[in-house]
Parts: sequence; C-alpha cells; structure tokens
Amino acid sequence: MTYRTGRLVAALLASTIAGQAFAQDVTVVLSEELNTVEPCMATQSNVGRVLLQNISETLTELVPGEGLQPRLATDWEDMGNGTWRFHLREGVSFSDGTAFDAEDVKFSLERNLSDKFVCETGAKYYGGMTLTTNVVDENTIEITSDPAQPILPLLMSTLAVLPSETDPDAFTDAPVGTGPYTFDEYARGQHIKLSARDDYWGEAPEVTSATYVFRSESAVRAAMVAAGEADIAPNIALQDATDKGTDYAYPNSETVYMRLDLSAAPLNDVRVRQALNYAVDKEAFVGTILADGTLLSTGMTPPSTIGYNHDLDPYPFDPDKAKGLLEAAQSDGVDVGAEITVIGRLENFANVVETMEALTSMWQDVGFNVKLQMVEVAEWNKYYSKPFPEDIGPTMVQAMHDNANGDPVFSMFNKYASDGVQSGTADPQLDEMITKATGASGDAREALWEEVFAYVHDDLVADVFLWHMVGMSRVNERLDFTPSIRTNSELQLSQISFK
Amino acid sequence: MQSFLGKRAVASAISLVGLIILVFFLSRLTGDPTDLYLPVDASLESRERFREINGLNDPLLIQFVHYMGDLLRFDFGDSIRRSEPALEAVLRGFGWTLQLAVITMSLVTVSAIVLGSLAAFHVGGIFDRIATFFSLIGASAPDFWVAIVAIVIFSVGLGWLPTSGTGTPWHWVLPVAVLFIRPFGLILQVVRGAMITALHAPYVKTARAKGVRNRPIIFVHALRNALLPVITVIGDQTTAILNGAVVVETIFGFPGIGKLMIDSILQRDFNVILAAIMVTAFAIFLLNLLIDILYAVLDPRIRY
Repeated sequence: MTYRTGRLVAALLASTIAGQAFAQDVTVVLSEELNTVEPCMATQSNVGRVLLQNISETLTELVPGEGLQPRLATDWEDMGNGTWRFHLREGVSFSDGTAFDAEDVKFSLERNLSDKFVCETGAKYYGGMTLTTNVVDENTIEITSDPAQPILPLLMSTLAVLPSETDPDAFTDAPVGTGPYTFDEYARGQHIKLSARDDYWGEAPEVTSATYVFRSESAVRAAMVAAGEADIAPNIALQDATDKGTDYAYPNSETVYMRLDLSAAPLNDVRVRQALNYAVDKEAFVGTILADGTLLSTGMTPPSTIGYNHDLDPYPFDPDKAKGLLEAAQSDGVDVGAEITVIGRLENFANVVETMEALTSMWQDVGFNVKLQMVEVAEWNKYYSKPFPEDIGPTMVQAMHDNANGDPVFSMFNKYASDGVQSGTADPQLDEMITKATGASGDAREALWEEVFAYVHDDLVADVFLWHMVGMSRVNERLDFTPSIRTNSELQLSQISFK
Repeated sequence: MQSFLGKRAVASAISLVGLIILVFFLSRLTGDPTDLYLPVDASLESRERFREINGLNDPLLIQFVHYMGDLLRFDFGDSIRRSEPALEAVLRGFGWTLQLAVITMSLVTVSAIVLGSLAAFHVGGIFDRIATFFSLIGASAPDFWVAIVAIVIFSVGLGWLPTSGTGTPWHWVLPVAVLFIRPFGLILQVVRGAMITALHAPYVKTARAKGVRNRPIIFVHALRNALLPVITVIGDQTTAILNGAVVVETIFGFPGIGKLMIDSILQRDFNVILAAIMVTAFAIFLLNLLIDILYAVLDPRIRY
C-alpha cells in the first residue's frame, strides 16, 4: 500500500513538473481590482497593465530607448495639412477570428470620442483637436488632425484598436483585440485570466497564460511574490521593498512639483519663486522617505522625453541664498510675509504627508509664511484645475504628473500655457514657444522643447521643481523580466521569459 | 406574532426610506465624481460630457426624483466606475461577506459559549484564565496588525497557508481566524458573566440538590437562561461583520461588501453606495427579526 501510494505521488509530481515545463503561467498581483476592462480606459495604470499590447494593440508603440516603433501600422507618412497616412499590417486577425483592417481603426477612433460614454484615452489625449479619418483601402488609413499634430503617430500609440463589431454605445466587458493573448475570464473581485493565442501575427510569447489578482495592501503584494503565490507585483511601497534579489526600482514617469500661482503676490515676484526652490533640500528626501534612485528634476517630464533639457542643473539647497532673495524682494516692497497656502494631495504617493510636512518646514526655516493643507483628490483638483477658486490668496499646489509618452506636448500646454487647464502662468512669450515647439518636428522640435524647458526653469521659475519618481516592483526570481518606465502603464507578457 | 412582524416591517421600511434620502443627499454633498473618474488632464469638454451622460448636471431634486422612480421599478442604477449594475456588484460582495460572517460567528458562538460556560463554572480555574487571556487579546490586538503578522508567519515563513485571496478552503483560514478574535473575546466575557449569575440562581441550587450532574446543570439549566444577553451581543457582532469587515477584506483581498462600500464612498460611486446601504440595512432588519424570534423561543415569558 505504501509503495503504491509512493508511486502515485511520484506520478503526480512528474506530471506537475512536466505540466510546468509546457504551461508557463504567470501570476501578476495588482494594487486594485479593475473597475472596467474596456480598452479605451487603458490609460488607467492597472487596466493598461492587463490589456495594452496583451489584448489590445495600438498602431504605433513607444519603446524606451528606441523611440516610436511600428505595431499594427508598419509605417506612416506625413501627407501635409495635418494628415498622416498609416499603412497597416496585413494578415492580422482579432482573437474572435475577424480580420483586422482600416475600418477597425476608424471605428476605434470614433468610439473613443463617443457621446454615449467618456473614454479616458479620448479625454486625456485627443482633447482640443478634431480627428477625422479617411479609409484609403483596407490596409491604409489617413487620419487628419485639426489643428495639425506633428506627433499624430505618437498619439496613435495610445489608441487601442477594437474590431468594428464591438458595441459602439457601451463599454465592453469581454475585450477582443489583435494582441498575443485572449481575454478568457474576469471573475470580479477575484481574478482575470488571459491565455496565449496560437494564431497571433507576431512571435509566440513564452508566457502561455496569465492570472491577475488584486490586493490593495502593498505588504500583502510583496508577501505573495515572496511566498511564490505571485510572479510580479508591479507596484509595492518603499518599505516593503526589502529584498535586493527580487525588488527593482525603475523610473515610473511621474514628476512631483509645486505648481505656483504666478498671478498672486508674493509669488508673482521671480526672486520669491527662486527662494522657494533654493530653500528645499531635495537630496535629503532621497533614500529616506523617497526611494533610492529618485532623481532631482528640472522639468515637468521624465529625462527620457525628447527635448528634455539635460544641461539644466537642479536648484541647489542654499538657504542663505533663499533668505537673501527674500530680503531683496522685501526691500523692493514685496510682501514676502504674506501667508501662502500649500495644498497637498493625500494618497498621491508613498509618504506624501511626511514629504509635504518636511517641505513646509524647509520653507518656514528661510522665512516663508506657509500653511499646509492636505486634501483628498476631488478637493485637490479644485485647486489644481481651472477654474481656480477665487480669493484664496497665494497658493502652491503639490502635484505629481505622469508622462510616459515620450513627448513634452502631453504635458507642457496643460501645465504652462495661458489657456492650460492646470497652468499657474500666463506668459505670452512662453505661449508662443510652446506653440512653436508643438508644431515642429524632428531635431527642430527637440531643440525648441529644450528652449521651453530652459525658459520655464531658469527664467520664469514657474514651479518648485522637485523629483522624478521611481516605482518599486517585486519580481519572482524564476522570471527574466526587468521593470521599466513603461511598467507604470503596461506590462507586456510577451516581454517576460523564464530563467 | 403576525402583527408584531407587520409593525416591525413598516417601521423598518420607514427607516429605510429615511436612510435613502439621507444618504442620497449627503453623498452628493461630498462633491462631483467627475474629478475622480476622469484623469486630471481630461479636457473641460470631456468633463462636461461626463456630467451630462451621468445626469450630474440636473438639479439635485430632479436627480432624486429620477432615482426614486427607478428604485420603485427595482432599478438600482449602474455603477459609474464599474460599468455594471450597482445591485449586481453589491449582491456579489454581500455574498462573500455573508459567508465570512456566518462561518466566523458560528465558530465564535460555539467556542465562546463552551469556554465561557466552563470558565464561569470554575472561576479562577484554567478555563477562566484562558478566557481572560483571549478576551484581552481580542480587545487589544488591532485587526490589521494581526492579519499582517499572520501572513508573515503562516504564509511567508511556514508556507502553511495562502497569503490571501479566495479559491480553496485554505484561503478562508486566515481571514476567519483574524475576524474571530475580537467577537470571541467579547462574547466569551458576556457568556462568563451571565453564566456566573445563572449558576448562582435558586433553580441551579435545586438542580444540584436533586443530584443533577454538572454538565446538564451548565449546558441545560443555566445556559438557556444565560443566553438572552449573549444573543444580543452575537447579533451586534454579526451586524458589525455584515456592515463590512473592511480591514480583513482589504488585507486578504476578499471581495466583500465592506471593501466595496469604502471604495464606492472614496470614488463617489453613488448608486453603489445606496445599493450597498439598502442591502445591508435589509439584512440587518432580518437579523434583528431573527434575534427577536430567538428571544421568544428561549424565554417563554416573552410574547409578541
């Protein structure tokens, strides 16, 4: 009996090991349950991590270090007057078996701007422009933007393509795409399951199936990878990243800054804004309450963005200089003792409250009269986005901005143009510079954005420039996968292999 | 009895309507969900379109009339965030929490009554010391701390149990164990106190004088009379879990109604908030009714 039991156990073990050799399943533990699995909501980090390039592909793809690459479009050309012609990949099919063609691209774009629901992709990236399409043939489509967008191909890296048979008037709960995986199951509150397609147009991925589970507690996500229950926890807190063998820090495309209201005294004086920058010991935060690897910033976008000005130096910590600047301003009649309200956003990033309290203390040390208010997101957005509340006096708003799309245009208009929805400045010269850079292409575009960054940082001193943040991920040692800046918005299973 | 049930149903319905009105207006006073739903970079046109589509531009009173009209047709509306009917999300979450509450409170009830009765019988004895120890732990150990420590020890360290989630009976062990501690300590003390009183009652002395053995004295004569306050506390603790074992659900990734409610409040998902409150209110109404009926069963002097 003992012998037979032993054989049974051995057989079961052998089949399990054999099964593992062929079925390469990974489990990803996400920080929250997905509210929706609609591809046009893939701008939400966790929705993007499940769907983007796994289920739903885009015409183009921004690859860190390589720039804009073909995906469903093989190449594209500027036809002038805001029109771009995209040549689509042939022989591609959706996971439901229907063929991919230009009508699907047209449908996906129009659906993104539906009046029956609001898509985040459309709301975030296609505002302020009119996009029209012209299907040339089944593998060629022209997309026209009014006003013209030199970065239209880059914008197309945000458009998840769905089959034209998808319901145009409602969110889908069973997304179909051209990606290497099929969406098999969403057991709400429990898991999502994907499995590899055998008819994918590209190279077959090593990961044959994936399970996504949801745990809002960072310590539990880290524990799941440590216990072998999960393979990747894309977002864990600094204090839970305790294992150098499995925990990775990566630039997560978020930039933290203080948006200043340049219309109100004393913030309308450039010396006061400089003093605010000199008063902050940014390096003291790194490796203490912010993760090691956090970078000091000189601009609104991550350093990997085109046109980022690498020649700019962060304002050094120089409290004496800050005090001197304040004294000079005061002697010219500027009311430097006026109370400045500092608005911080609760839950914005790990240790945000401690960070804001330390910043407040540093400003107080050089003589500023600042008062900190930490508020939840909806309250915070009243201060951050126009129309701003009236009669609130000088205000600094702490914000964290995400730009993983490689071009400053996704940031600079909203943050700095006079009509920008989160802009605290109204500077005609800067407006003109942004307009010129937005309309340029190639090297000229890069140079013009560098000028914009320099003007905002050195001349206008529009913000208190703080940090480019890093994210922490825990990855099971059995995987060959290194998180990157894109892990903040997508997690391509096809890029994961096994050691 | 029927008249009692009818009166209770009417009183509960009136309370429920009052609750709906209160929650409807209070939740909307917290602000517009548009800012939470759309990214901060969303255009002003998108924000306006979102408000229009979700009826948020209508005056509050009109929104309320629409909501009540839909409710009369048992239409609880859709979740803004989750793109599914609000009631569907709530009932799914409630199912998980109900299972958690039933399993936990069954274990708590049986173990607290047995241990509490034995502790009362031998005041100062071994069972009494165990009862006091668990009561202290229950009163002083925070749920979140116990949960994290349990994961570190039993899942990561020893590898005996899954860290979190659902799927197998083993997944229930840690959440139930963590939820168990607090009501167990409380009910244990209530049982002990009630039993000490009951065991000194004249009918127990009579039973002893008649030569009845200890076990029937404790579990038949004294316990039945001591149960009334215990049932009240059991009902109270069950209500607390039904209202949402938020900490346990959050840490163990249990998709219950507590976590759903907190998320909905934070995200201003009004229809889910209202549906969750109505479902839990209805469940608590049924639970209270059950407790009233149990009173009558246990004590023949109580008549409705």
